[in-house]
Amino acid sequence: MKAIFIRSVLQIVRRPIYWLAFFILPLFCFLFLTNLMENGLPIKVPAAMVDKDGSALSRSVTQQLGGMEMVDLVANCNSFTEARHKMQEGEIFGYFFIPEDFQQDLFAGRKPVITFYTNMTYFVPGSLLFKTFKTTALYTKAGIALNVMESVIGATEEEVTPLMLPINIDARAIHNPGMNYAIYLCNSFIPCVLQLMIFLVTCFSLGQELKYGTSVKLLRMANGSIIKALAAKLLPQTIIWLVVAIFMESWLFKINGYPVYGSWFWLTVSEVMYVFACQGLAVFFFGILPSLRLSLSISALLGILSFSIAAFSYPVESMYTSIGIFSWILPIRYNFLIYIDQALDGVHVYYSRIWFVAYIIFMLLPFTILWRIKKEMAKPVYAP
Amino acid sequence: MWKSIKSIISQFLEVYCREFKLVIHDQGLLIFFILLPLAYPIVYSLIYNPEQVRDVKLIVVDHDRSSISRELVRNLDATQEAWVIGYAADLLEARRAMADKKCFGILEIPEGFGRKIGRGEQGNAALFCESSLLLRYRSFLVASTNVSQAMGAELLTQKINTVAPLATTITDGDLMPIEYIPMGNIESGFDSFIMPGVLILILQQSIILAAGMAGGAKREKPELMGYNGVNEAPSVAMTMFGQMLCYATIIFLPVIYLTHYVPLMFSFPMAGDFLEIIAFLLPMCIASVALGFCLQGIVWERESVFVIWVVTSVIFLFLSGLTWPRYAMSPFWHFVSDCVPATWGVEGFIRMNANGASLSQVHNDYIHLWILAGVYLVLAYCVQRWVVRPSLFKGYDAYAEAKRRAI
Repeated sequence: MKAIFIRSVLQIVRRPIYWLAFFILPLFCFLFLTNLMENGLPIKVPAAMVDKDGSALSRSVTQQLGGMEMVDLVANCNSFTEARHKMQEGEIFGYFFIPEDFQQDLFAGRKPVITFYTNMTYFVPGSLLFKTFKTTALYTKAGIALNVMESVIGATEEEVTPLMLPINIDARAIHNPGMNYAIYLCNSFIPCVLQLMIFLVTCFSLGQELKYGTSVKLLRMANGSIIKALAAKLLPQTIIWLVVAIFMESWLFKINGYPVYGSWFWLTVSEVMYVFACQGLAVFFFGILPSLRLSLSISALLGILSFSIAAFSYPVESMYTSIGIFSWILPIRYNFLIYIDQALDGVHVYYSRIWFVAYIIFMLLPFTILWRIKKEMAKPVYAP
Repeated sequence: MWKSIKSIISQFLEVYCREFKLVIHDQGLLIFFILLPLAYPIVYSLIYNPEQVRDVKLIVVDHDRSSISRELVRNLDATQEAWVIGYAADLLEARRAMADKKCFGILEIPEGFGRKIGRGEQGNAALFCESSLLLRYRSFLVASTNVSQAMGAELLTQKINTVAPLATTITDGDLMPIEYIPMGNIESGFDSFIMPGVLILILQQSIILAAGMAGGAKREKPELMGYNGVNEAPSVAMTMFGQMLCYATIIFLPVIYLTHYVPLMFSFPMAGDFLEIIAFLLPMCIASVALGFCLQGIVWERESVFVIWVVTSVIFLFLSGLTWPRYAMSPFWHFVSDCVPATWGVEGFIRMNANGASLSQVHNDYIHLWILAGVYLVLAYCVQRWVVRPSLFKGYDAYAEAKRRAI
């Protein structure tokens, strides 16, 4: 056992690719994702104003819009076509259109239409722009109505204001009031990167034994026990991954200060079990497809698909049922759910109990396929 | 003169044929070149294909129990975004349901809500949203805004007479209609938003992965390559050119499939001109192959590409500005994203494909892609000339030596 362990450590130390896979790539991703979205929201969306009216009123709308935090009015366009071209060229993500004779029509009661356009091929800036444009349009409308009412019938502001918005529903995002993008994305994507790397490294290191025919020696060193062989072979990796996972946890929640409203203890337990679960599933993949390339292919396929199918952005219940069920075969799904329960929502661990059980199932998976790995390791065949 | 042209052509054909043979006899390469671009977009698109997030579950805690509060709940339930699954007696019960993931939002209507509105004051209700998924929150936000505005307008016309009978003429109906028109992705669907960009990323990654793996394959078994230190080998530039054309031949059909048939199948926006799109993607493909050639410098065995390169897909996705727009990146990351072919490819392709831009309108991206292609080709030449080729020759010599001894 000890000899295998040392052999495995030496293999890791000697090959730069392991350094890359264990440390450089994951750590780079941690840093990259958190640093990229440091500001929380991509404010100052480039947008344009198409003011065909040029009246005092339309100019005050432009000023109001320009003062909004989310918008950066980079251009004043003379026509709809000009603005559309700017959008097609990528200079702006949307524009606000005030028609000709807007002020005149408005006060004459001819009901001019204000229109705004956002480029929804970019979802986040498009949505932010939509919200800001709509608010501006509504305020403008309310302001005008207020003016008219005051001047025509002399109603006071106190009387009129509630009439403009008699019902107000305040939508509040619990524990992430500003809808901070970093909190929302990093907490799911970063553990998913870890899952991908664990899958790949586990399959790669096991496959190498088959490729170079060293698996025979490995089995001999373990006295023919596949459990001993695998355990001792993977233990050094487990230790490294545990260190990386704990670092990840502190990187996210301590250093970057993403919210933890629940229990640190269970969050840590989750990260630890997550490492074992990912390794378990990876060994299972290797047992099903005992070849270096095929096991790596399935690891890469599922590892990358996890980013979508584990439902970090698009909810499982909205997917087709036949697709959505696949989210449950991935450890990252349970890591994500426990994160939601234990860090973001801060509910009792009772509600997360099933997710922890799922981890245990992943850990037990390899035992169903050990016989096959042993068979392959005894007579290694390399298929390129 | 004629002789040298003839030898150049024959050298080129030799490289081309050898490379072609290598690819079609290699399952691993075929997976990257054919299966990956063929199957991945389908799986990916299917995941997001429902496009909208509809009927997000909502629980109501109604302390008011007035007719107006019930109307509010009915109207919310009637939106396509929200689905009221029931009432809870108090906030505690509702929170328990939320912890159990039975609902993702709680609408709390305070006591006196209806009375306040009846008195002509503002009635406030709170909608607490579970914030793990942005799209759910967005659905609630849209539903609640729409409902409060629609009901507000209704109440306004009802109430206006009591405050100021004369004002009806001004405020009756809509004083100043507001219209919103989403462009490009007109249904604001999630699939139509993310997939066109992902298609381009898939294209770039499959080319780089395949080129990287081909390099690994050659290093492992140089004897397969016909490289040989004694005979005259084709020049580095010629080899690169032959390989590039070979890859272009193979990837041509997948490119058409990715840019035309996948959007057709899943009815993504398709406003661009097909030929212009192909012309636009040409430099991106060249830059990707060149990047693959550079990658060959560190790929010592075929399977390493998985470990080294697969995770970069996530990085490139974010660098492309699809999820986090490029204008909000720090100068450093902005520069890094400038160096990735897919960044420009995604930007330009989306604008052509969804916003209907012409090639001349995306000239900025197009020029950058050609610059990148040029830079990476030079870099690739250096890597091939001073890293890959010597190691190939060394490998070949070692192989020849081993063979001689064996005989």
